[in-house]
Amino acid sequence: MNTGGVWMLLALAALVVATGLPVWALLIGVASAACAVGLGLGVFDGGILSAAGPRIVNLLEHDLLQAMPLYVFIGVLLQRLAVADALFACALRLFRPLHGEAPLAALAVGTLIAPMNGSVASSSALLSRLVAPRLKGMAPARAVSLISVAATIGVVVPPSLVLILLGDAMLRAHTEASNLPGFVLGGQRIINTQDVFHAALLPAAAVLALWSVVAWWQQRRSTRDAGMPPLSAGQATAAVLTTLTIVLLLAGVFTGRLFAVEAAAAGGCLLVAITLVRGSLDRGQWREVLHDTLALSGALFALLVGATTFSLVFRVFGSDRWLADQVLASSWPPTATASGVLVLVALCAWVLDAFEMIFVVIPIVAPLLIVELGDAQQSAVLLLMVLQLSFLLPPMGYAVLMARSRSGLPRVATTALLRALAPFIAAQLSVAALVFAWPGFAHLLDEAAVVQAPGTTPMSNEDIVRQMREMSPASTPDGESPPKP
Amino acid sequence: MMRILILAASTLVLPLAALLFAQWPLRDLVQAYSRQANDLAQIVFAVYMAVAVTAASRDGVHLAAGHVLHEREAHTSRWRAWAVLACTAPWAVFMLWSAGPQMWQSLVQFERFGETLSPGFFVIKLSLGLMAVLIFADAWTRALRRNSQPS
Repeated sequence: MNTGGVWMLLALAALVVATGLPVWALLIGVASAACAVGLGLGVFDGGILSAAGPRIVNLLEHDLLQAMPLYVFIGVLLQRLAVADALFACALRLFRPLHGEAPLAALAVGTLIAPMNGSVASSSALLSRLVAPRLKGMAPARAVSLISVAATIGVVVPPSLVLILLGDAMLRAHTEASNLPGFVLGGQRIINTQDVFHAALLPAAAVLALWSVVAWWQQRRSTRDAGMPPLSAGQATAAVLTTLTIVLLLAGVFTGRLFAVEAAAAGGCLLVAITLVRGSLDRGQWREVLHDTLALSGALFALLVGATTFSLVFRVFGSDRWLADQVLASSWPPTATASGVLVLVALCAWVLDAFEMIFVVIPIVAPLLIVELGDAQQSAVLLLMVLQLSFLLPPMGYAVLMARSRSGLPRVATTALLRALAPFIAAQLSVAALVFAWPGFAHLLDEAAVVQAPGTTPMSNEDIVRQMREMSPASTPDGESPPKP
Repeated sequence: MMRILILAASTLVLPLAALLFAQWPLRDLVQAYSRQANDLAQIVFAVYMAVAVTAASRDGVHLAAGHVLHEREAHTSRWRAWAVLACTAPWAVFMLWSAGPQMWQSLVQFERFGETLSPGFFVIKLSLGLMAVLIFADAWTRALRRNSQPS
């Protein structure tokens, strides 16, 4: 019954697509049904399921997760405040001389708000409101592609919510990988969220730079929009102060002076203070903001609760070990196996949201990817880039779906959209390929958490068994002292 | 009743942000009470999330296939309400049954935070019970209500 968990995953995928029921409820429902089957067949003891309660209490007292409602709160507030409008108006002026102001401003605003925004959905909604009206003169396919691309920036730019949660998932995955056969932790330490931030920053910057070139190149010959939104002195001040605040907070997190949770809290408190001082929201609007924050945070937390329950039952069946055995026993070279794992992740991310991926799929596949690549930071960056790539692939990619349905732009054929997205996707893929081929790219801003010599491959099961035999006293000539390492 | 609870819980994000922000000056400037602020934030967070899941259900904003948010049909259909009840009710009952004794123990002992010995850790454990009760009650009410309406 080791494959029980795999059948659970298949049943979940089928039910998610076929029923359209909330994913968190299906996670819990499938896990409960599998439990009943497992208990009925005597596969495991019922007592082991009592671990479910404490695991959910762990979520409720999780330090990092406290950032979640704060990010959602900031995202919801930004939707209603003029801060983002001021940023966009300022960026338009700034990029005007380059003759590609609208797309470049869209990318700039996407970059600035992404780390403080809740999710791809939140960024997409904000960009649709802000940027889409300014892109009316552009071919619809290009406009939709631009909004889709800008909305995914938060997936790779630290310290966004996606990165925080992935950092936490990678910490667990690295710990788990260290217990798998074929992986030697050696002198390296288990990576943390900060390591993932550091590893992701340069690849994210490379993607952004390439995307800016693509956006500018596409726009340089198109007719210029004569109208420019007015920019008041107040707006300019607000834009400069906001940019400075965001950059300072990000620098604080990046250098380790501030915890991500504290940065999110500082951002939230600042926004509340500004809103109260300026009287930007009335009582009813405040009530709406607070209610939307509660509901959206609840939707994310429900996924966590569902995924925690699901993964417990998955492991109770022993499916994690079975899956690891299958992947680790692969006769393919480690890089080929790692590529296979990444393709599997890309396929899942094509139909799932970032949070579903982080809570359900990543905990299962990330330890295997780390074992195959031997580098947890490189694995984390590759996973982020694969998520971002899948969100941009029409017709199912999450960012594309959101931009098509919410931007208010004319309908766009999938082939036209794919053509418009192709240069962005090519740029993103080239950076991902660079990270895959040259792991050092993920370590340029930080000391590598991995000290494995370049070119070496993870040890196989046979290697470990041989090494253990060599180290055992029975194998030494005099049967007394083990060989020195 | 549920509406009042959700309204009250929705305001908790403000003290949560204030407490988590306060950790920074308390740690770096005052050099005291930072952990206590964090403990209090944990209590607020636990209660907030315990109610938030049900608030998301009532608003129909849970993630679903096709990433449908605020989908009217999905939110009102009778069979969906029963399906959600079938998925969540056994889990909620199991949580109350399996974690109930620990919650009770924690409550009668007024369990404190392990590191700081600040009071109130039992609230976090009780939040699990609150979450399970609210999830069950909401799913049950929704299914019964839909039963009396045409699908």
